Amino acid sequence: MTLLSLRNLSKTFKTPAGLVHAVRDVSLDVVESECLAIVGESGSGKTTLANMILGNLAPTEGAITLAGAPLGPQRSPSERRAIQLVQQNPLSALNPKRTIGASVRLGLDTYQIGPRANRWHLVEDALEAVGLPREMRHRAPSALSGGQRQRVGIARALSVAPRLLVLDEPTSALDVLVQARVLRLLNDLRETRGLTYLFITHDLAVVRNVAARIAVFQSGRLVEEGPTEAIFSAPKTDYTRALIAAVPVVDAAELALRNSIGGGS
Amino acid sequence: MIRAALILTRSPLNLLGIVLVALVVCAAIFAPWVAPFPDHNGAVVDFLNNNRPPSARNWMGTDLVGRDIFSRILYAYQISLTLGVVVLAIATPIGTFVGLLAGYLGGWTEAVLMRLVDVFLSIPPLVLAIAMMGVLEPTLTNAMLAVTAMWWPWYARLVYSIARSEREEGYVLAAEVIGAGTGHVAFREILPNCLPAIITKMTLDMGFVIIIASSLSFLGLGVQPPTPDLGSMVAEGARYLPDSWWLTVFPGLAILVAVFGFNLLGDGLREVLDVDR
Amino acid sequence: MSLLDIQGLKLSFRDLRGLTEVLHGISLRVSAGERVALVGESGSGKSVTARIVLGLLQETQKALISGEVVFDGQDVNRMAPQARAALRGVDISMIFQDPTSSLNPTFTIERQFVEVLRRRENKLSRKDCDAKAMQMLAATSIADPARVLASYPFQLSGGMNQRVMIAMALANRPKLLLADEPGTALDVTVQAQTLALMRRLVADHDAAVLLISHNLGVVREFADRVYVIYRGRIVEDGPTQALFADPRHAYTRALMAAVPRITGEGIPDVPEISSDFLAPQVSHGGDQ
Repeated sequence: MTLLSLRNLSKTFKTPAGLVHAVRDVSLDVVESECLAIVGESGSGKTTLANMILGNLAPTEGAITLAGAPLGPQRSPSERRAIQLVQQNPLSALNPKRTIGASVRLGLDTYQIGPRANRWHLVEDALEAVGLPREMRHRAPSALSGGQRQRVGIARALSVAPRLLVLDEPTSALDVLVQARVLRLLNDLRETRGLTYLFITHDLAVVRNVAARIAVFQSGRLVEEGPTEAIFSAPKTDYTRALIAAVPVVDAAELALRNSIGGGS
Repeated sequence: MIRAALILTRSPLNLLGIVLVALVVCAAIFAPWVAPFPDHNGAVVDFLNNNRPPSARNWMGTDLVGRDIFSRILYAYQISLTLGVVVLAIATPIGTFVGLLAGYLGGWTEAVLMRLVDVFLSIPPLVLAIAMMGVLEPTLTNAMLAVTAMWWPWYARLVYSIARSEREEGYVLAAEVIGAGTGHVAFREILPNCLPAIITKMTLDMGFVIIIASSLSFLGLGVQPPTPDLGSMVAEGARYLPDSWWLTVFPGLAILVAVFGFNLLGDGLREVLDVDR
Repeated sequence: MSLLDIQGLKLSFRDLRGLTEVLHGISLRVSAGERVALVGESGSGKSVTARIVLGLLQETQKALISGEVVFDGQDVNRMAPQARAALRGVDISMIFQDPTSSLNPTFTIERQFVEVLRRRENKLSRKDCDAKAMQMLAATSIADPARVLASYPFQLSGGMNQRVMIAMALANRPKLLLADEPGTALDVTVQAQTLALMRRLVADHDAAVLLISHNLGVVREFADRVYVIYRGRIVEDGPTQALFADPRHAYTRALMAAVPRITGEGIPDVPEISSDFLAPQVSHGGDQ
């Protein structure tokens, strides 16, 4: 069942240098409980797209609907609550002057989730669900590692039980070993809770392992869309082919795949 | 806290700042008990001992009507510190509130509030205060009012510039996406990140408020006799330089000690609070 | 003889709590013309190692350095500060992660090129500088070198600035090029072009390269030889082929397993930390 639907979405910015078409005529559906990857390089429009979905930017044209209900640029609290975000930089995403617990609790207080007396307990549950110790709620962000901070970011986003989670390059600022743990966590959470992800990234190797479907963006346009398997075995556009060819690979099987697609160095 | 104390006491200059500020604050608080002539706080006349150089009886000499200068300096500190605390206690919240709203909300709120701030900042502070004191009665309350009027815009501008850069931080976006209201984001998320700079500026400003207040009373616009005030003491004595040097030198030194102390402490705090970021 | 020979390098930082050791005695060599990679995660000590080779950390009060860093027969640790400064940008040059912020936005590329070239020959005329700069930029496959020379860095794309950086870094024919995460701040396609370009140019200029990276794929595609660094210790080293075909140290294995594959093997269950990661160094040889 379609959860999020974008129809002919466009965003144009006026700049001193003229009009910039950040997103042009994008139509796309996100199905309930799937992980759809939005892939693109800088200037592809993927961040602008995310901001429109989150309600931080008003589309110039087009419509966004969530489970059949249209979403305007002015969102009601329940509409806001339904779509949550995990940011790229876990350090700046947490207020350095507030404890981990206070940051996670914000959503619970905003939407009056659970009885007030019980909320610290819910905060601790949320931390535990992402593999962090319960007592971490008393710590400051500066006392946590990058991976732990990103887990807090995930716990915070999930604390309000959103219908859609927008993941904006959630692991690109993390070390490889930490990235693997966080990606596993995200996969597990999606499977056990039936979550829906919009996974924004430039890293095709990550995409291959987390997303069932891929939408490739270039200069604000959706240039290719399809199941992950199909796109990796037979990319339809030169741009997708170039993206796959540019991935630095570590083993022979990957090299063979890359060469078969027709790129490689 | 322990780490902050370590950093603060590591440099001898920071230590000196702490000692000087402690000295000034203690002098002000304990003036009634420490002063050798507590009654010289007011309109006492002792022509038998007037205009005496420093001696064992009067460590800093006596003034033109025979009052003990040391005692009067201790009481003058009371006035200066009270003035400083009251001015900052009013100016800081006003400036912070204006700066936070302008910095976080942007748009026309920012345009209106910050132009207002610019207007205040474009008038030289002493001129503004002198103008106000010309219209109002030259009393201690009005002196505070005048100084406060010219002080809050500085806090508005400081907080505005921090809030503007903080609103681009991920945690602000995170709070907005969660659905937190404007008040929460401004006061619970952004404000705590402005506090270190505000506290540092307040410490530095204690010194400057003392100078401005002294300047006003030096010009005869501030605290009126017989209440002791460092600025008016310097002004009175200036006519008798260099013969009766103690009339000006000791009150002048007293201003120096207080201002220098608060400046050193402020610099030390800046170091400590920056490391924390 | 090696061009760069680091032996038992230790580094500690002084802070309020006392000394914190961040390099626990690392040894590595780079021969003339060789491409060597130092690969590790954040906080492993790879970037500070580069800064020691450049002679930058030696100047700070907070750093305590011991061991030998012999470059071209001279110990960088024991050199006079002026001698170290004279090496930088001449015999040792560096390419940074973010090319746009490493170039000065207030000067044209031409002006910055002149400064670089005059580090080796301070009497070089403006005309000769321009000629050399044009030649270097042309070598980086920049189609319109004259326009690029007249531009300011912010007028150029990240990829173009990266090329300019590489051209500048190689302009003085350095013996050693330090590349700290080159192109990481750029798009993947630009990053791939950057690496290919660097590979070709360092060969043309007979420069050796010490590549600092966290990306195993980049390392495999660029380097002849690899050192894996973990928490201030080299844990494994060897020729790239041998090391990638048969990683033997627990940390290298974990790192290798954790890299997501475009073939889609799933994300393996690899520990973030393990006591095995502190096992002694494994060497595949090949460093002579």
